[in-house]
Amino acid sequence: MDAALLVDFLSATVRIATPILLAAMGGILIERAGTFAVGLEGMMLSGAFFGVVGAYLSASIVVGLFASCLGGLLFAAIVAIATTRFDTEHMVTGLAANLLALGFTSFALRTIVGRGQAPVIHIPLLQPVPIPILADIPVIGALLFRQPPLTYLAFVAVIAIAIFLRRTRSGLLLTASGENPLALFAAGTDPIRIRFVALLAGGILAGLAGAVLSLQQIGTFTDGMTGGRGYLALAAVIVGRWLPLGTLAGCILFGATEALQLRVQAFNLPVSSYVIQMVPYVAALLVLAGLGRTARLPAAIGQPFRRD
Amino acid sequence: MTVATIAPRRRWLRGALALRVIQSVVWSLVITGVLILMAGKNPIVAYQHIVIGAFGSWDRLVVGLNKAVPYMLAGVGVALCFRGNVTNMGGEGQIAMGGLAASFVALIGATTLGAAVVPAAMLAGVLGGVAWSVIAATIVLWRGVHEVLVTLMMNFIAWLIVAEFLHGPMGEIDAGFPQTPMFESVAWLPKLVTRTDLHIGIVLAVLAAIAAHVVLWHTVIGFRWRLAGASDRAAHYAGVSRARSGFGVMTTCGALSGLAGAIEVLGVHYRLIEGFSLGFGFIAIAVALLATLKPLWVIPAALFFAFLETGALSMQRQIGIPSSLVLVIQGLSLIFVLCAVGRGGRRV
Repeated sequence: MDAALLVDFLSATVRIATPILLAAMGGILIERAGTFAVGLEGMMLSGAFFGVVGAYLSASIVVGLFASCLGGLLFAAIVAIATTRFDTEHMVTGLAANLLALGFTSFALRTIVGRGQAPVIHIPLLQPVPIPILADIPVIGALLFRQPPLTYLAFVAVIAIAIFLRRTRSGLLLTASGENPLALFAAGTDPIRIRFVALLAGGILAGLAGAVLSLQQIGTFTDGMTGGRGYLALAAVIVGRWLPLGTLAGCILFGATEALQLRVQAFNLPVSSYVIQMVPYVAALLVLAGLGRTARLPAAIGQPFRRD
Repeated sequence: MTVATIAPRRRWLRGALALRVIQSVVWSLVITGVLILMAGKNPIVAYQHIVIGAFGSWDRLVVGLNKAVPYMLAGVGVALCFRGNVTNMGGEGQIAMGGLAASFVALIGATTLGAAVVPAAMLAGVLGGVAWSVIAATIVLWRGVHEVLVTLMMNFIAWLIVAEFLHGPMGEIDAGFPQTPMFESVAWLPKLVTRTDLHIGIVLAVLAAIAAHVVLWHTVIGFRWRLAGASDRAAHYAGVSRARSGFGVMTTCGALSGLAGAIEVLGVHYRLIEGFSLGFGFIAIAVALLATLKPLWVIPAALFFAFLETGALSMQRQIGIPSSLVLVIQGLSLIFVLCAVGRGGRRV
């Protein structure tokens, strides 16, 4: 395997891992606060959609980015209201949000934006912003420091969330809300509010993850363009045991397997691309089964909390 | 176990529950109507076209009835699982594996088995679904991993296995699309009414719903499932094994979903097509919850979703409103039903 092929493979890994990573960071916030984040897929899709529509209508990519945050926020708010106010089952609520997002984005693209047909939209992509000096390092420079802005954001988010969860008061409150909401409540903080806010914050990150796809990598919106990446992000969170750095590793693993799958022929591998595509899921299953009961979910995840 | 988990369950009267479900559906139709208005179309006309499209002719009615079959079968399975407090999201994968196994038998057995090929293929479908659910159940119960995570992962693996077979050994050569060759007509599911497309699947699905109702409410096994679902403590005290009942509901769901996959390939497509079951498992979850986890209510809920889909496809052709509207209605009804019923849908 020559060096050029390897660099190409690694940069594809980073590219594929980025949207999953951003969504997974949102997932960590949501799950550590005590809500199952099955709705990530829908938030991502909505973020991708609103990002493209915002950028298209305003001809400004910055507006597009804000719109994608709002898009993620919208579906996060639906999940948040249903799960906190109405005590609905988290998994199924997330699933409902995903169905709704899939239908809504496809419907709105054709009717509200496109007057009956799917409109042809091409958005100029977010361009790489080289970081001075660092970008000139051979190999690593091109790989890590000559990236579009949302890729930097994803990696910054990993570090920021790691510090936030371990080292700040709010971070500890958030974790407590997922581990023992009753104790938190007794100590004078409302876990429901924390879960609500965590969902909204996670929704924004997931919306931006959608923007990575639509504004940074593809430049348009197609139906269901997230294609299960929200579920992969969920798997990455689990494989990473609800820790930001572990989740980063999980995302890189998933990115690498998909990058490998796209290069099966270039690398002359003896298996079909479908078998390689299974690797992330099988890996997630094996890790889950291997960890077994020690793959401890936040203790109170999925449990309703009532103030009375 | 914290106090938070033993909060009192809400009780609804039987009639009030049905009312709440209908109310939820009406609300979702109203909100979708507003979306249609925003798109510059008349929602009343759109809904009229959906109704005409679904019931306007015998052919359309048949399409809707056939479409309801997998939703009904998998929906009943999901209802049983949720009753047993197992959030099984693996319907997608189990349907896909059922379809794969049934196609395999239909392709190799058409010449040797003769008329027995249809029951054999359906049995293979059931076994395919069961096998897939046994793997999931084993990981869930033996290793203590959360069932949603396991079943979601296994859906992706199942899709990829189907793709692998269609692009490899089972695929039709030069078809230009990942699909198997068409089955011999001896391997087609018998028709319920001759000279129409209506196959016997709808009868099997209704029978399955009735059987599930009887098992759930009138047998010891059903009682154990409900008890294990309602309260871990009560089940433990009564000597009901949580693991055994979890295994029971998951494999039953696997069998029903596998049968759904088999019927879809043997009765509708007469071949295995990539993505033939895409979304079925998730719609089945919506159907089961719309039915508030009552097997008999799954019948009208599945018919509602199926007719909504066939009606919307015809509406799209007639007046150009995209049929993805259906997903909006389905998603909204699911959210509203969840909100209206709260956790009450899980009670014994």
